[in-house]
Amino acid sequence: MSRPLLQVEKIEVVYKRVITAVQGVTLSVGPKQIVAILGINGAGKTTTLRAISGFLGLDDAHVTEGSISFEGRRIENALPHDIAARGIVLVPERDKVFPNLTVAENLAVPVSRVNAAERRRQDEQIFSLFPRLAELRQRIGGLLSGGERQMLAIAGALMCRPNLLLVDELSLGLAPVVVQDLTRRLLAVRDELGIAILLVEQSAAAALAVADHAYVMESGRVVLDGDRERLKSHQDVQEFYLGQAGGERRSYRAVKQYRRSRRWYG
Amino acid sequence: MFRPVPRASGYFRTAYGQDLALLQTRVERVSLAVFLLFLAGFPFVASPFALDLACQVFLASVGALSLMLLTGYAGQISLGHAGLIAAGAFTTGILAREIHAPFWITLPASAIIGIVLGFVFGLPSLRLRGLYLAVSTLALHFVVIYLGGEYETKRGFSTGIIVEPPSLAGFRLSGGRFWYFVLLAAAAISLLICINLLRSRSGRAFRAVHARETVAEALGISIAGYKLLAFVISSSMTSVAGCLFAYYRGFVSIEAFDLFLTIQYVAMIIIGGMGSLLGALLGATFVTLFPYAIEALLHLLPNVEKLAGDIFAVNYASFGVVMILFLVFEPLGLVGIWHQLQNYFLLWPFKYRPLAGARK
Repeated sequence: MSRPLLQVEKIEVVYKRVITAVQGVTLSVGPKQIVAILGINGAGKTTTLRAISGFLGLDDAHVTEGSISFEGRRIENALPHDIAARGIVLVPERDKVFPNLTVAENLAVPVSRVNAAERRRQDEQIFSLFPRLAELRQRIGGLLSGGERQMLAIAGALMCRPNLLLVDELSLGLAPVVVQDLTRRLLAVRDELGIAILLVEQSAAAALAVADHAYVMESGRVVLDGDRERLKSHQDVQEFYLGQAGGERRSYRAVKQYRRSRRWYG
Repeated sequence: MFRPVPRASGYFRTAYGQDLALLQTRVERVSLAVFLLFLAGFPFVASPFALDLACQVFLASVGALSLMLLTGYAGQISLGHAGLIAAGAFTTGILAREIHAPFWITLPASAIIGIVLGFVFGLPSLRLRGLYLAVSTLALHFVVIYLGGEYETKRGFSTGIIVEPPSLAGFRLSGGRFWYFVLLAAAAISLLICINLLRSRSGRAFRAVHARETVAEALGISIAGYKLLAFVISSSMTSVAGCLFAYYRGFVSIEAFDLFLTIQYVAMIIIGGMGSLLGALLGATFVTLFPYAIEALLHLLPNVEKLAGDIFAVNYASFGVVMILFLVFEPLGLVGIWHQLQNYFLLWPFKYRPLAGARK
């Protein structure tokens, strides 16, 4: 792999100066790569994403150790709109579209000072990637369905011309069919625009369908990482994330013990 | 701006240019032309009293539009509106009185004062929101009124400052019809500024910041910058309204700018309908004419002479009642009623049709 686009090096994130949410997380995203972060609730996935996109400050959290560099420049604890200007755009977990603006206006919000012809080309590119949005141009954001909102949010983020797209919980509250459709579109986005994508997911099946590389997080640490095939065939992932244990499901206690051993030896 | 209200039928935009046109259909063009003709002809048939009412409506419209921009679109609540009008009026009054400044100096000076005040009192919006922001903007009102009061007493104009009507090339510009057209132009220009501002990058940013600050910031919008911009634009427009007010009335005094005026402006945008420029105009008209309407109604009652002392009280009380009724029964305001009417006639004789979706 060539030099990574995004390099997160052993970061530690502390909320309100007391709660350590993420510890020693190291991950990297290469150019045109789709990378996923997996984990259960509270594992620190979203916190990691916020650390990268600069949204920690809103919750009085800071990156206290380690470094985040994007295209060779340090960006930890920078302001969100500065980070957006550098080419990292976040699609947040919820409340991702402007409910008072139409689809067309939603897409016009992002800051990109380009001339009309370029703007039109960009519009048409987005509408060819998401034809459904072209049909909904005049509909206001608040009246869209969950899947349409997710599409609109991703399309809006793409209007910023990012080099790295961060998507928090692509599958949250969406039907599996819709998730499948969205993941296919993400692949198309990557191929057509040549950008890198970092996904945060709870649904391992959805994430491993598209990701080239994935990191599994537990209790604020990365416990496992590898390319898609390795993770898909990894016994722990099959058991705890893909639900393919085969036969009896393990008891809660066994799961707990597994987690503890991970924490200690991971 | 795009409207969620469906058009009658068969009107499809097929080119990007059509999205940008202010008037989309012939019906819109014709009805606007008729309305403009009515406005142009009005002063030649109306009584001086009606003319004065129209002028008040236009002045209120400028103020309501600027407040709508700030509160209805950018989502920043301000209770300093009367203070800003006072600031513009006092700037004009003081400059005209002290150095006999002509209107082409006082007008920009008021705008600049508005910009400065808007910037300073917009700063709290970076930290505060909602009620807390409202209270901090209230400080603006008291600061301006205090300074104005000090000036009045120190200079011995304890009843108020008299402002000479402006003159251009030796002509004194005064008279009801003249002011009617000046204020109409001011209201129309403010409306055009607002419409075009809201269709631009900044306007979308205002509404984006209003709806979802986090997403807006994720998309690269500088929240602080746009909040301050909203305050600055709104304040300078309001201040200019204050300047026009001073010339129109020919008299500036702090009594005219009490807290009730602020409440009236907030009432205008609530009764008119939040987040709609048409709402600001409707609200300004309604709130300005309301007391006169109540008074006219009271005069229809028998033995009205006995009530003469109570008219003010009745006015205030009914204003409050109307405000409550609107908040309870029509939170979308007058513009909500207007859209319902439009929809009713568009869909008649059918009762219901899915809103968009069917229109590709």
